[in-house]
This record gives sequence, structure tokens and C-alpha cells, in this order.
Amino acid sequence: MTERIGFEPKIIGFLCNWCSYAGADLAGVSRIQYPPNIRIIRVMCSGRIDPAFVLEAFKNGADGVLVAGCHLPSDCHYLSGNFKAARRIALLRKVLADFGIEPERLRLEWVSASEGDRFAAIVRDIVEEIRKLGPNPFKNKDGETQ
Amino acid sequence: MSNKKVGAVLVVGGGVAGIQASLDLADSGFRVYLLDQSPSIGGVMAQLDKTFPTNDCSMCILSPKLVATGRHPNITIVTNAEITGLDGEAGDFKVKIKKRSRYVIEEKCNGCGICAQKCPVEAVDRFNEGLSNRNAVFVEYPQAVPLKYMIDREKCIGCGTCYEVCKAGAIKYDQKDSETTLNVGSIILAPGFEPFDARLKSEYGYGRFKNVVTSIEFERILSASGPYGGLVLRPSDGEIPKKIAFIQCVGSRDYQLGNTYCSAACCMYGMKEAVIAKEHTPSPLDATIFYMDMRAYGKEFDAYYERAQGEWGIRFVRSRVAGVTEDPRTGNLVIHYVENETPKTEEFDMIVLSIGMHPPKNIEKLASTLGVQLNKYKFCQTNTFAPTETSKPGIFVCGAFSAPKDIPESVAQASGAAAKAMEVIASERGTLVTAKEYPPERDVSKEEPRIGVFVCHCGINIGGVVNVPEVVEYAKKLPHVVYAEANVYTCSQDTQKLIKEKIQQNNLNRVIVASCTPRTHEPLFRETVQESGLNPYLFEMTNIRDQCSWVHMHEPKEATEKAKDLVRSIVAKAALLKPLKKPRINVTPVGLVIGGGVSGMTAALELARQGFEVHLVEREKELGGHLRSIHYLLEGNENPQERLKALINAVNENSKIHVYTETQVTEVSGFVGNFKSKLHQNNGEEKEIEHGVVIVATGAVEYKPTEYLYGKDPRVMTQHELEEKIANGQFKAKNIVMIQCVGARNDERPNCARVCCGQAIKNALKIKEKDPDAEVYVLYKDMRAYGFKEDHYREAATKGVLFVNYSDERKPQVVNDNGTLKVTFYEPIIGKEIEIEPDALVLSAATIPNPDNKRLAEMLKVPLTKDGFFLEAHMKLRPVDFATDGVFLCGMAHSPKYIDESIAQACAAAARATTILAKDTLEMEGIIANVSEDLCSGCRICEPICPYGAIEMKDKNGKLVAHVIEALCKGCGACGTACPTKAITMGHFTNEEILAQVRAALVEVKA
Amino acid sequence: MIFRPKIVAFMCHWSLPPEIDVSTPSLIRGYPKIRIVKTMCAGRIDPAIVMETFLKGADGVLVVGCHSPDCHYVDGNTQAERKVKMLKRLIRLTGFDPERLRLEWANASEIENLARIINHFRNQVASLGASPLTSGESNSDVVINIKAAKAVAENFTLRLLVGREKEMTENANVYGDKVSQEEFDRLLEETLEAEFIRHKIHQLITEKPMSVKEIAAETHMEPSQTLCHIVNMRRKNMITLDHVKGTTPLYKALEAH
Repeated sequence: MTERIGFEPKIIGFLCNWCSYAGADLAGVSRIQYPPNIRIIRVMCSGRIDPAFVLEAFKNGADGVLVAGCHLPSDCHYLSGNFKAARRIALLRKVLADFGIEPERLRLEWVSASEGDRFAAIVRDIVEEIRKLGPNPFKNKDGETQ
Repeated sequence: MSNKKVGAVLVVGGGVAGIQASLDLADSGFRVYLLDQSPSIGGVMAQLDKTFPTNDCSMCILSPKLVATGRHPNITIVTNAEITGLDGEAGDFKVKIKKRSRYVIEEKCNGCGICAQKCPVEAVDRFNEGLSNRNAVFVEYPQAVPLKYMIDREKCIGCGTCYEVCKAGAIKYDQKDSETTLNVGSIILAPGFEPFDARLKSEYGYGRFKNVVTSIEFERILSASGPYGGLVLRPSDGEIPKKIAFIQCVGSRDYQLGNTYCSAACCMYGMKEAVIAKEHTPSPLDATIFYMDMRAYGKEFDAYYERAQGEWGIRFVRSRVAGVTEDPRTGNLVIHYVENETPKTEEFDMIVLSIGMHPPKNIEKLASTLGVQLNKYKFCQTNTFAPTETSKPGIFVCGAFSAPKDIPESVAQASGAAAKAMEVIASERGTLVTAKEYPPERDVSKEEPRIGVFVCHCGINIGGVVNVPEVVEYAKKLPHVVYAEANVYTCSQDTQKLIKEKIQQNNLNRVIVASCTPRTHEPLFRETVQESGLNPYLFEMTNIRDQCSWVHMHEPKEATEKAKDLVRSIVAKAALLKPLKKPRINVTPVGLVIGGGVSGMTAALELARQGFEVHLVEREKELGGHLRSIHYLLEGNENPQERLKALINAVNENSKIHVYTETQVTEVSGFVGNFKSKLHQNNGEEKEIEHGVVIVATGAVEYKPTEYLYGKDPRVMTQHELEEKIANGQFKAKNIVMIQCVGARNDERPNCARVCCGQAIKNALKIKEKDPDAEVYVLYKDMRAYGFKEDHYREAATKGVLFVNYSDERKPQVVNDNGTLKVTFYEPIIGKEIEIEPDALVLSAATIPNPDNKRLAEMLKVPLTKDGFFLEAHMKLRPVDFATDGVFLCGMAHSPKYIDESIAQACAAAARATTILAKDTLEMEGIIANVSEDLCSGCRICEPICPYGAIEMKDKNGKLVAHVIEALCKGCGACGTACPTKAITMGHFTNEEILAQVRAALVEVKA
Repeated sequence: MIFRPKIVAFMCHWSLPPEIDVSTPSLIRGYPKIRIVKTMCAGRIDPAIVMETFLKGADGVLVVGCHSPDCHYVDGNTQAERKVKMLKRLIRLTGFDPERLRLEWANASEIENLARIINHFRNQVASLGASPLTSGESNSDVVINIKAAKAVAENFTLRLLVGREKEMTENANVYGDKVSQEEFDRLLEETLEAEFIRHKIHQLITEKPMSVKEIAAETHMEPSQTLCHIVNMRRKNMITLDHVKGTTPLYKALEAH
């Protein structure tokens, strides 16, 4: 067992039901290990992810947020939800900077139902990256609790 | 002869075709037995990485169908089974089934997989084509349905470990093979195909040279969940290849081996594999395809071919490969081939053999047991006008067993076979299906949330890592939680009883299960809470196995903390859950079929034979469409005009079909189950009809060429005009040139028109039949004589028809030189320009979309392809559905196709329509969007966002507001996210619910 | 200098003559480097402990149990026999001399016999010279091999097979069939070889990531065979892809479970 010391990022993951959530399940079925820093919230479609959800996560102390959906162009179960997510998240990243939150804390990734390995790799990568960035600045300014 | 009929169908083969047929039948009120000889369903499609031409992930699109089949109340999956005997006749068959023992009690196994983890014996994993191992107790693949383990008795040494570790008590070593008899009304055969054994093509070195792999092995290599994790590696040394070659037609179009037919799908999958290989390879990869003809004849396939050559940079070499040799030092391979009459060699790092489709193993035994005729290749014998019927009444066929074919063709044919199978027993619809009764729903609206939490150990799968008792104790302290407990397996039958008891005892009004994935288990638990009188949407689930204990196996402390966070988060959401109603809408059991060609008439007849009233609308004066100009067939001796007459008579005589000729549909409103349409007749009469479904069968038209002097010289004609002349005995020419791809595969219309190669071969053969001395030249780009049509191509060549390849760079030239028609073309084999003076020049003119499509598409709010054909909901798995529920398509409205394909699709559209018409009311999903009319500003942002057209604007007391058509909403929530005034909320995924879930996932809350 | 081999003897309580005081290292005068570890039964000998003993520098390991019908615990001695048989096969794979491990039967009343056994074994080990594991090279092939062998000895699969051997070969397996000794031995051999090579690969790529070809060179295997092991080790989450260098994927070990 690895002893964990120092800053442990808290990551919120919004995963679409059809591809990314299934990919995360496959990581489990294949027992591919990744750091336990992510808390997954299932939504039906990545197009459902309201910027308010992401902001709420940062407001409550999340150090990083992952939004994951079906691969472009045509994997989306709802035909085009992934395109909508792509546009929203790109805009949201711009807005985040205004809040004093590094845009790198918000990640958009496409994960298919057969990419368990990829999902685990993404989580590992995010945790590493956020570890380097340090805690959510929002949290420091306003204290731990909101 | 007994008149007894049984409302059940046996489907043999659980590949994608069998699955589709089963779902259509079960959704239309019939009991289905889906039989597969392997331990799980899914077939070859489950092994594929991506699918052409959309490059969709195969498992992503198949898995929802697998799950739907697995939990359908009217489908019984019978695995490890084979047919041993058949008695009775259409309507009342008795089928003897032998089921091999699994040594695992299916009812008890919950698929946790601990047995395989502990099994000491390894065996070759056939699902991964032998590229990796599995254990002696196994499931074929992680998403398998049913997810029930099985002991490989040949490999198992009988150590007893699985028995010891299985907490569910599912292992049963003394389980015996069993026999049973099924009583069904009809049978559908969908046993698929057997991939060609590449060892037989010994000159290509498969089995001798390590870096020669088959295309199916390569699918597994490409798969992210395959043996190499999705990285393309050379089996000889694990290096990523720099240069890879694909050899087409391995075990197909091969006269030496006797497999003379074309396997129909390999050109496309070969291209796809080349494209995906490049995508999966981090370093530059050179991909070359050695082919004879690129048969990209399907919908949008040529566009893919274009992209493969251009955007993806795949190199195509037209040549039959003579042999492959290996450099034993490097493991590299040398391909020996002939191009332009010159022998050449080229070295590659790796070679993929695009292996063909062969009839399923032991098919002769099955065919003789059932009394079904096979063709000379041992595929199922069918006819052009009955493409899903076997030689035995009541037994139908679909998928690759009828002829090699790709997935969309198989799926369409499967639905088509379902229609025919239902027809036999239409009177018995609904007699053998299980309708579930639930107690009246408890009103919880006035109650404070009272949440019960059930935490699953999953044997040791969760409990071995996560401290489950600690999580239970933690849950008890969370707000609104009044009860929490741990279960060994929360999904087991006895736990369902227990959950119901606890709901009663503790007056619970919200239930949470913390266990595995809701993707597979949510329906089960929803049913349980519903059985105890709660609304099923008062249930929630969190995944502490697949996304916690299994991925943090070495960090029990952190995993336990994570599990607590996840439970806290879902409790916060659950407290806000609201009961949702599944909207029910009435169905008008009437169909509207637009188009009275062979497709439209077939669809109308099928619906009528299922017992539904049909309105059949034809623009022209007569029924028949395109078929009226077809006088003889390429395959088989049926007389098309006689068949057409019979079909028209059948339509006219059927009292359920209302035929409107010289009529157009001018307006369609409403939605699935409840359409209203206006018909306008040429005589000025208007009529309004109500119907539950629409089938679009508007066909296509022949392109009127502007090239090659067409219309300017009477000796120049199209294939249809030629056929007409031959049929009338007016054709006397001695010297004939045919030019293929006129008006197709060009910049304006990049796709192939599919039927012209067959037409050219058919007409050339007819000319030769009447006058063996006639000289016929066919100038072609690729001869796309796919499937068994290849035989006729060869026959034509044998009879002296000269096939000459031309390229876009050197198209044939046609001039009228002082009254002499001259055709010049380049003959690549001799490398010379040749000039011919034909007395007839026949242009294989493309089949192009009906010009009326645009108007219809707008009226029906359905999309068209760039070319102008109708675009279905999904190119692979929903070939006859539109994304808009209740609207279907078939025949040439979809894309150019042969008669048998149109008929199969027409039957398919009818079967899909029947899944709606067979129900008095449709139950829609409860998770849909809701508009608060007070908040709605009428800005219309949501309207175009919805991909299903489920949002319409309505006038409400003078204010324009968005309105959700419940029947069309699929619940993705994209509209809610776009709404600037937050007037739209999504049931079960409301903003408040998700925000609460986010907050609680991050912040500790105390009761 | 005369080579005095370091020998560790695992002796069962019931075969150990009462005269012998296990707390003193000297059993027989003149051979001070024999250490005795007492266990209640020879069946208790854990293959992993034997391997650890070699790793710690023993030149020879002797296991002593009771004569066949005399085992105080019914069949502890035959269990010891199976374990030693498996261990010798395993050691053979490592290039280490299996003669450095020996199983003998003794009786508490026969101290002379025991002395003879020890003497004989000591001579045998002396003739083999110092254990290659004592050379101090921590990364030599043989050290890696023995470490891998130890990991194999700790491995669930092997322990399970050896544990079930008696029942399956002498009585019957769960299907009521008797598994012939040859069949069982074949399976055991196959499993041993596979597990050993996998654990060796695991050892090799613990420090730094390696490619299939590099691993093949180190393990004297065909690269194609190496790749098969890599595939199955990934399946079991023993290793993972570290990175791709040019066209060469490199793999690294994951922490042992």
C-alpha cells in the first residue's frame, strides 16, 4: 500500500452514461488501478453538463473537474451532445480564468466504452497535473468552507 | 393438419442479427427464445474495435442492445445450446434443444468474477483470437450477456478453488447437460458465418510467419480492451510496425479454393482497419491495401474510400498477391505481386489478411435437422423476392448465413425476418408475453425523505477492499437516512425480498444501493422498489465497485473514504428525488406508407398481414415504381414482371390496404403513435388520415446522363433503356460498349450507385445468351459484383465479355466521327489506347435520389445525406429507423439497392413499425425534460438544440413558450443546459439534484 | 581457506533429537555453520521461506521431517515432499543448483543418523562451493532469478496447486476423476515456467522500463513468446505500458499485489 502524504487533489468527474461511464466501468472490470482522488457523477449526456455544475464544484473546493463524453464526431448516443459539451467547456475554460481559476483545472476528454485503460490514464494524468498546480485558489481565498 | 398456432419464436444465433430479430419480436408481443451455441450472445460484432463507415466504437453501440436483450421480459436467452430435432410445421414447431452444462448455476452467478481471479489454470482466450489467455473459468468478454461464468471443462483440472471462493454458491461441478423441447410458431436462423481459415491459403504464410495476422485478430489488436491495449504491435517482437499491408480477398473470389463468391464486407473493413491502425499508432504508419476491386458499394462507402486515399493517406495497389515470404532475421515480410504485368516485391513489417466469410461450422447438420436447403456454398438458399425465407415454411433467415454481408445489411434483414416470423403467428400476438403487475403507487409527496441505504459487499469484490460496515455506519449518520445495512450480494433474489421488507418496516420513501454499475443493475433495483409500491425513480445507485474497490485495490483506506463520499453524494441527490411518471400515449394502429414501388408495397402488405390498416400513397398512376422497368434478374430465374403483378394484386386484394395513386402527402403533423396527414390527389381531392407510423419508400430515379453523347446519338442508351430493348426483342447490336459509373463516383455524386455493375453483367450475359458472337466491352472502375454476384461476373468473363479497367485520370472518350460512333479507352494490361466503333454504347447511369426527397424530409423533419438520400438514425444498427420515433424508411429512398435488399428492408421497416403499432399505448421513458412556462421567455434557443425535434413552440395565453413533446424526448438534457432562464429541468437529473450531488461529494455534511 | 558452507536446516519438532539445543549453532563439532530452525512439522515449510533463506545467503537448505508413516500430523511429511519437489523444479529454472536443497527423513531417537545426513549434505554443498547469491552483486542474473522464484513461491496459484495435489492425484478432483501424476506434473511444470518467467520479467522492469526485445534478450526467450507473457502480465495488472519510444513500447512493473 502506498502511503499518501501532502496535497491530495479532489477531482469531480462528470461522465456521460453511454460511453465514458461505461469506460470507467471497464477500467474497474479490468482492475486497472488509478488514484482514488476522483468522485464520479453520472449524467445522461455530456451535453447535459451545465457550466453551473462545474462552477459549483470549484466553489465547493474541487481542485479539478473532468468532463467526459463520447468520442467526436459520431459516438454520441444523443447524436450531437458531445459537440455541445465541447463548445460549452471551451467557453467555460475562458470564464474560469476570470474567477482566478486556472483553466487547466477543467478537462474535457472523450472516452469510449472500450477505453478502460484510457480512462485510468486520464485520471492519473489529471491527478498529477493538479498536484503540480496545487490546491484550488478559490478554496484558499475564501477558506475551506463556503 | 392442426390449426394450433404458438405466439413464440425461436431465434438461432445471438449475433447482432439474432439480437435485432429478437428485440423486434419481443417488442411486438411475442415470446422469444434466443439460442446461441456459445456461453454469451454478441457474436463477431462484440470482437470488433470500430465499425465503418462512421468509425463508431463497436462495443459502445452494441452493448446497449446486449443489455436490452438480456433484461427483456419476453426474451429467454438459451446459451451453450444447439438444436437436435424438429417436429411440427409453421405455426406450431416443437424444437429439441440440447444445452451443454456451464457447471455454474446461472440463476446464482452474479458475474462478480472472483472465480476467474483465483482459478489457477490458464487457457487460450478465443475471444481475443488466441492472442492472450483467460482462465479455465471465464466469461467471453467483460460486457458479455448473460454475465454468467462458465467452466471450460476441457481445461479445468477440478481443483475446487472456484467453489471455495464463490460466495454466491453458483459453482456446480455435477451439473449435467440438459435437453428440452421448445414449442414455437416460427424460427429465424441467424447463425452468422465462420471466418475463413487463413492457413488454407498457405502462400500467404499465416500460421508460419508471426507477423501475418487475420483481420479478426487485427480487430482485437486494435481494440483498447484487446490483448495489446489498442496499440498495433508485431506479434514477433512487440514493436510498432512502420509499414503495414492488407491483403484483400483471402478465402474469397478464390477459384483454387472453390470459394468463388465475394465476402462483401472485407473491402470496407480492410479500409477501416487501415484507417484505425494509423489512428492508433503514435509514429507515422504506412498502410497499403492490395486489392482486386475496391467494393465500396454501400451507403456513403465511397466517400469513406475517398477519405481513406486522401485525408488518411492509405495507398491502394490493384493486384492479386501471389505470395508472401519472410525474412527470418527481422520477421519482416515480402509481398510478391504483379502490377501492370510486371512482377514486383515489397517489404512490410506486418501483414493483415482480410479473411472472408464462410458458412457456419456444422451447418449441414443443422440444415438437415431443420429440413432447410443450402446453396452450393452451403449458405442458406433464398430467392430474390423472398430474401428472408428458407425452403421450409415457417423458418426464416437473416444475417451472413443467407449470404456474406455487413452489419447494417444483417440488421435490416434481421428486422425483415422478424416481420415474416410474426406474420405466421400474427393471430397469437400477446398470448405468451408476460405483463407485469405492480401494486398501486404510494404517494410520498407529503413525506419527509426517509432514505434506506443498502451497501453491497459483492462477495469480496467490494468488501475485500472497502470497509463496508464502516460505510454502513457512516451512511446511518447522513441526513434523511433512516436505515442502512450491508448485503453479501445486494443483487441476489433474496436481497430483493429483503429490500422490500425494509421499505415496509421503515416506511422508506427513497432507496439507495451502493454497489456496482447502474448501467446493468439499475433496472433490477427500480423494479424492486416499484414492487413495493414506490415510484421507480425514487431509487438511486452509486458505484463503489467498478469505480472504487476494483480500481483502488491496494488503498483500502482511501477506497473506504471514497465510498463514503460517493454514498454521501448520492444521499444528497436522493433526498431531492421526485417521482416521475412514465408518460403513456395512445397509438393509432394504422400505418402510412409513402411510395408504391416494390418496397412500399411490400411494407404495406407486411403491415396488413400483421393485422394493421395501411394507407399506401403513390404519386404515379400505377403501382410498381422502378420494378416496372426490370424484366429479368441477375440472380435466379424468377420473372420480375410476373412477381410485380402478383404483388400488385396482393396489395389491391388486401382489404386492410387503402391504395391512393396519383396522390401526394402534403402535410404531416403529430408524433409517434399519433400522426395526422393530408393527402392531395391529382384530381384535386383532399383527404386527411390519422396513423401511428410513417414508412418512407419513395425510391430513387435513374440519372439522365449529360456525358458520352447521351441524348445526342440514338445509339447511346442507359442500362434500363437497353433492358427494355432486349425485353422487347428490339436490340440487335453486335458490337457493344458499356461504360460504368456514369454520374456516380464523381465530384458531384461521390458515392457508388451499387446496382449498375450487376445491371451491366446481367445485360451483357443476356446479350451473349441471345447472340454468343456479339462483342461486349465493359469499361469499369471497380467491378462491384459482391456476394454471390461474383459468380455471374466470372460467367460473363468466361463467355467472352471483356472487362477493361479505367481510371478517373483516363476516362473513355466517345465521339461521333461523321456518323461513326467511336469509343477510345486505355487498356492497362497491354498498355495501349484502343479504339472501338460500337453499334451501341450503354451507359451505366447512376441511381440518384428522388427529387421529391427534400420536400418530404422537411415535412417529416428527418435528415438527408449530402447526396440527397434519406439519412437513417444510425448507419450501423438502425438502418431503417429515423432518429424521429415512428418514422421509418426502406428501399432506394435509403440508398440504391437490389430488389432482394429492398424487400428485406421493406419487411424490416414493417417490423420496426409493428413494435409501435402492436401496442395500445406506448410507455415513454420517465426521464424527460420539463418546461416551466412561467420561466420560459420563448427565446427558442432550445428548439434547434434538440436532436429529436422534441421541442415545439406553443402559444400560451398570448405568450410563446417551449413545449416538450414527451413522446419524442430522449432525456439527454441538452435543452436544459442551454436554457438561459433555467426554465427547462430534466427529470431525475435536475439542476438541484446534480448541484446537491456535487456539493456533497466535496463537503462533509452532518445530520 | 577452507570453504565452510552456511547451511540452514528446517527440522520438525518430532524428528529432532532432544539432545540437540537449537539455540546453539553448533550441532556437530567442527561444523559451526549449521543453523537449525525448528518447526512443528516439516509440512509447515513455506516455499517462500526457503527461497528467502537462499536469498539471505545460505549455501544449502536442508529440510528434515519424520519417516513416512510416523508424521505426527498424519501427512505433513508428504506435503513437505511435494513442496520440496516443486521447489526443486522451480530452482532448476533459476540456474541455481537444486542440489543445494534437500529433504531427509529422520527420527528423534537417531541422532547418529541425523549427523550422517547433515554431514553428507554439508559435503555435497561444500563441493558445490559458495552460493552465487553471496557474491554481493545485487543485480546478477541469479539474484533476480531467485527473487523471481521467491515471488513465484509466494504466488497464490502455485501454492494452491501444490496444496491440492494430494487430493487430486490420490483421491479425486471435484468431478470425481483421479488426475494422473503425469498430468498434474505437466500442469505444475507449465505453471511454474510461466509464473517464473513472468516474475522474472517483473523483477527486470521494476527499476527501469524495458521493451519486449530487451526483455527477450535478458530472459533468453523468443521475443514473440516474451510478448505473450507481457500480454498476460498486463491482463493481470502486473505491469503496464510506461511509454512508447519511437516504435518501441516500454513496459514497467506495477507494485506487487
